[in-house]
Amino acid sequence: MKKIFTPFENIGKNSRLLIILSWVILVAVFWFVSSMGERHLFPSPEQVGRGFRELYNEGLMVHVGSSLWLCLKAILIAITISLTITYLSTIPVVMPVARAISKLRYLPLTGITFYLAIIISNARTMQVWVLVVFMSTYLTTSLLSMVSSIEQEEFDHARSLQCNRWEVLWEVVIKGRMDHVIEVIRQNLAIVWMMLVTVESILVAAGGLGFLIKNSDKFMNHGRIIALQIVILFVGLSIDFILDYLRKAFFRYSKI
Amino acid sequence: MDYQMQNTLLYVENLSVAYGEKVVIKDVSFVEKDVTREGSVTGQVIAVVGRSGRGKSTLFRALTGLIKPTTGKILIADVATGVENDAKEVHEGDVGFVDQKYTLFRNKTIYQALMFALRHKDFSKEEKHNTITKYLQEWGLEKAKDQYPCELSGGQRQRTAIIEQILCSGHYMVLDEPFSGLDIGNIEDVKKAFSLITSLHEFNTIIYSTHDIELAVELADSIYVIGYPTIDGKTADYGTIVKHVDMKERKLAWKEYGVEHLEVVKEIKAAMLTS
Ligand SMILES: Nc1ncnc2c1ncn2[C@@H]1O[C@H](COP(=O)(O)OP(=O)(O)OP(=O)(O)O)[C@@H](O)[C@H]1O
Ligand SMILES: [Mg+2]
Repeated sequence: MKKIFTPFENIGKNSRLLIILSWVILVAVFWFVSSMGERHLFPSPEQVGRGFRELYNEGLMVHVGSSLWLCLKAILIAITISLTITYLSTIPVVMPVARAISKLRYLPLTGITFYLAIIISNARTMQVWVLVVFMSTYLTTSLLSMVSSIEQEEFDHARSLQCNRWEVLWEVVIKGRMDHVIEVIRQNLAIVWMMLVTVESILVAAGGLGFLIKNSDKFMNHGRIIALQIVILFVGLSIDFILDYLRKAFFRYSKI
Repeated sequence: MDYQMQNTLLYVENLSVAYGEKVVIKDVSFVEKDVTREGSVTGQVIAVVGRSGRGKSTLFRALTGLIKPTTGKILIADVATGVENDAKEVHEGDVGFVDQKYTLFRNKTIYQALMFALRHKDFSKEEKHNTITKYLQEWGLEKAKDQYPCELSGGQRQRTAIIEQILCSGHYMVLDEPFSGLDIGNIEDVKKAFSLITSLHEFNTIIYSTHDIELAVELADSIYVIGYPTIDGKTADYGTIVKHVDMKERKLAWKEYGVEHLEVVKEIKAAMLTS
């Protein structure tokens, strides 16, 4: 018993399960207790359950699908841009450009939307491009640090095997770090997912999870908001899980 | 043990390397010539010893053309021109290099890595396959051939790195501490590889560093000690050649390890301790 309170202690599988179970029960109990009485902080489980049903009837699945589609489009475009910039950043002339793009992540979102609004009129397209601009800066930052963390020995190894500089780029950075790219996307996914919902609720288009949140806000429907939060959390976690699974399945050597 | 000196194979003059402001090695000059012996093909085995941080790896990175020297030049024999005794400045890729950490491509299995090392050779896919299989057998890597570097032991990685360079490089091969982290069996394998490489072509030259002075004295026919020189009674803080032992001259090269070799070991250790 003392063991589970000792730092760095290794514990068995069963003990670990028990610990997790007790935490879950604790949270559940806290929820029940805090949702009782007149002025409750959280909606009761029944209210949340009702929220789920309402959402489902309003076509929750379609909205989830719509958000996922937006997310996928934005990620694909953003990763293409960021990868191109990052790979080219190994060329001295391009390096400052890549660094600058990475710095642009300090730009406020509103400024970006203002300028994009001048060019793009369709709300859905607008959402995609706001996300793309936003994500590219973050992805570029992570990808640049991925490249700079490659040890000199790896480049030297390729060079000593008569690779010319372009081959070094191809073998060591592009092919050799494919798995890291997936990991970079996964690491940035949390921000992207959060931004996606925010962007959807600011630039309201026909659907998406952000649109649902906006709706729920209006009615001050607690149960519904919590239900929606749970949905968004779980969809996000599933993408995270899938990406991690893909990386491990496709790249056996990937031990990050 | 008669021998002759022929073509110059390695010419290093006034070499210095600095990382930024920090001069790591300076005033390094030496010449190594092709050694020939009646009745046998004799390559060159050159050992570089010296205490940690004295600049052995830095010297090797310069010799392999991986870093530009700050001053001085490094010439190697240019065999492509067909002109006798032609020389050229060393360029990356000219000299095979196995670094201290046995770096490999993290995304290639042993087999794929060796195939890659053979990519410029113009023989058929099947011949390449046979060559690789032969090496894998000889070096005890058959079972591990489809494993990635992260799934290999240190010794397996190192042997892979050495084979890669044997398959890819020309006459020159530089190995940074090839004997560290190997068991006695693997050490024998590397020794065998050395004698195999040097028996293949007159020009074949192996340059290696080691902290095991006995192994330097046993295998090499020329030994350089890198250390901090003493100038006007004060120890400088850059590495240079503080001692050169020519085992050929002393008639100790290509001979069974014996009492005379032990004397040389002592001599070298003494030189290392004061630099
Ligand atoms: N990239 C670098 N930048 C700055 N200093 C460096 C760099 N690489 C090596 N040095 C310095 O150069 C000196 C020589 O290093 P080097 O690796 O050549 O030593 P070494 O003789 O190979 O040592 P060891 O036997 O421990 O491998 C050391 O003092 C080290 O701190
Ligand atoms: Mg070293």
